[in-house]
Amino acid sequence: MREKSGKRRPQPGRAMLAAVMLFFFLGFFLLALNDGEWKSFLLAVLVPLIIFIGTAGMSKLFPSDQLLLALTNFLCALGVLVLYRLNPEKGMTQAGNYGVGVACMVACTYVVRYVPRWKWLTVLMMLGSAGLLVLPLVFGRETNGAKNWIYIGNHSLQPSEIVKLALLLCVSWLLSQRRFFPALLFSGMCLGLLMLQKDLGTALLYYGVALILFFAATGSRLLVLCGVAGAGGGAFAGYQMFAHVKRRVAIWLNPWADTQGAGYQIVQSLIAIVNGGFWGVGLGLGNASVIPEYYNDFIFSVILHEFGVIFGLIVLCMYLFIVIRGMMIARRSRTVFHSLLAAGCTAMLALQTFVIIGGNIKLIPLTGVTLPFISYGGTSMVSSLCVIGLLQGVASRNEAGVNEDRELAMQGGGTL
Amino acid sequence: MSTQAYELISMLMRYVFVLIGLTIVWRSYRWLRRDARAYRREMRALPDAGLVGEMVNLSTGEAQPLPREGVIGSSRECDIRLKGPGVERSHAHFEFEDGKGLKVIPLRRANVLVNGNALHGPAYALHGTQLELGGIPLRVRLFAGLNIPYPAPFAEQAAQPWEDDDGERPAEWDGPQQAEPETEGEAYPYTGYENALPDNPPYDGHYTPDGQMTWQYAYSLDDLHRAMEQQTPPQDQWRQVRPTDQVPDEEESAYGAEHPHRRRRRDRHA
Repeated sequence: MREKSGKRRPQPGRAMLAAVMLFFFLGFFLLALNDGEWKSFLLAVLVPLIIFIGTAGMSKLFPSDQLLLALTNFLCALGVLVLYRLNPEKGMTQAGNYGVGVACMVACTYVVRYVPRWKWLTVLMMLGSAGLLVLPLVFGRETNGAKNWIYIGNHSLQPSEIVKLALLLCVSWLLSQRRFFPALLFSGMCLGLLMLQKDLGTALLYYGVALILFFAATGSRLLVLCGVAGAGGGAFAGYQMFAHVKRRVAIWLNPWADTQGAGYQIVQSLIAIVNGGFWGVGLGLGNASVIPEYYNDFIFSVILHEFGVIFGLIVLCMYLFIVIRGMMIARRSRTVFHSLLAAGCTAMLALQTFVIIGGNIKLIPLTGVTLPFISYGGTSMVSSLCVIGLLQGVASRNEAGVNEDRELAMQGGGTL
Repeated sequence: MSTQAYELISMLMRYVFVLIGLTIVWRSYRWLRRDARAYRREMRALPDAGLVGEMVNLSTGEAQPLPREGVIGSSRECDIRLKGPGVERSHAHFEFEDGKGLKVIPLRRANVLVNGNALHGPAYALHGTQLELGGIPLRVRLFAGLNIPYPAPFAEQAAQPWEDDDGERPAEWDGPQQAEPETEGEAYPYTGYENALPDNPPYDGHYTPDGQMTWQYAYSLDDLHRAMEQQTPPQDQWRQVRPTDQVPDEEESAYGAEHPHRRRRRDRHA
């Protein structure tokens, strides 16, 4: 089953994987010293094991991008570590999500690698995603001003996270077939339904990704100008129309005006970051759980608090490398569909990271999207890992193409 | 463990964590650069990587590399650029499909001719097909998908012996004649086809070692296979690559039995 991977192409090697595994062994062991629970000792073994399976085991199945896998696994495990330190129950759930996410990643890779025709699958996905986005409007309840969750028994599900994958696949396939109008219609429909759910952060994300995909497919500057103008106009109109948006912007401009009320979140986040300082307060010593939504929107502030600003920069570098790698994969792919798919996945991760980290450090107004790989949440974790799975599928196709070319070149001639 | 001891360990471990993190980032950066360099080197060694053939502009003689998928037109974004008054900014979309050929789709009712016939929907072009986009003649040369059989209508058309066919056949006529082994030295062995040649014969040009193009008439792969079976290579430079069973033994090669590399190695041993 394993394909011959190139001899001359270097792989990151075992040293990096060992460093990642050592990091989490030490992290969980430290927490275990603090609380003395058997669960912590279990995680100290289990999380490095998942990392090993998710990185080294994956390359046994198909020629995979080791760097992307190692960095993704690092970020996921970092989320588990931080969550476990603040709230052991949530940490254990997140570890389970992480395992499920790795399985879904493999499934996505196989889909991109082996599905030859996308036509009917695309139609199916478009219908399915329309249905999924309507569900929370009918059955959902309003939480934090947005109606974007559905509840099945004890479990909750955010459909917009799953539709994200459908959006990437459908829009890039339609654009690769030069069917601009259906692509526009589908992304417009998704956007409209998200606006009805008042999930503005995710709507912003969808808009940005669709715009980047359209630009990548057509290369027309007029379109980008129109898109940016439309976004600006929409933002202005939203600011004028919704009190909700006006309040968010006011908080962003001056959170100190109302530290106990509306500005509480961002003020606590900023105080936690400043308390952490350059080197952080030390794992297990901080009290970042005073930040509301510390496990979800503000997890990056928690990391800055406990591990320090320098470690925050390291995490940002890792996101940056994931984005650079994704763009490399997009440039190397052989067909328009796979190229657009890789570019869209990368843009999705990059935009999401920028929007939430910018919100945490008060660079831009805060919008409620999750930090990919790190934030608490089953759907978010699974969909982020699925996006990486799609990238892996494109990467393995590229690798297969290069191997084919290399073999043809080795034969040194044609057979007629 | 006492609180003080834990605090001390945890505050020391901060530096360890940062150190491991920096190691990972540094190694990732190194590896990204090494991989980019290795990939560039590999692509230099494989100039045909990702391409399926080339598109020859018959009016200028210029050949442009043909990727698997893309757009032909006059605008800067096009994968194959053509300049001419009749060429639209994006004229036609093409996509290579395995086992089918190069699918050509005219965009916005642009003017595309395939082998002289106007195209109204998608069509598959094979090696040697002549396209005409906005008045510019192009020849498709593929080096992928050469095992795809030519479609039946084209083969039938090729089998027609006369242009103004009145349906009558000479009594002795039983299909296109086979090349006979005794007509050695004749440039073109397919005697049955001479009257069937259209105005623009399919191009199967190959470059000779000194850069000259040779022109050959080849209707289908079946004809080429037939010629190979009878071991009558039509011309010297017709096939650059000979089938393996026709490669002479080492004794007959230009170097003789003593191949320079082999001799050198033997000398080293001696």
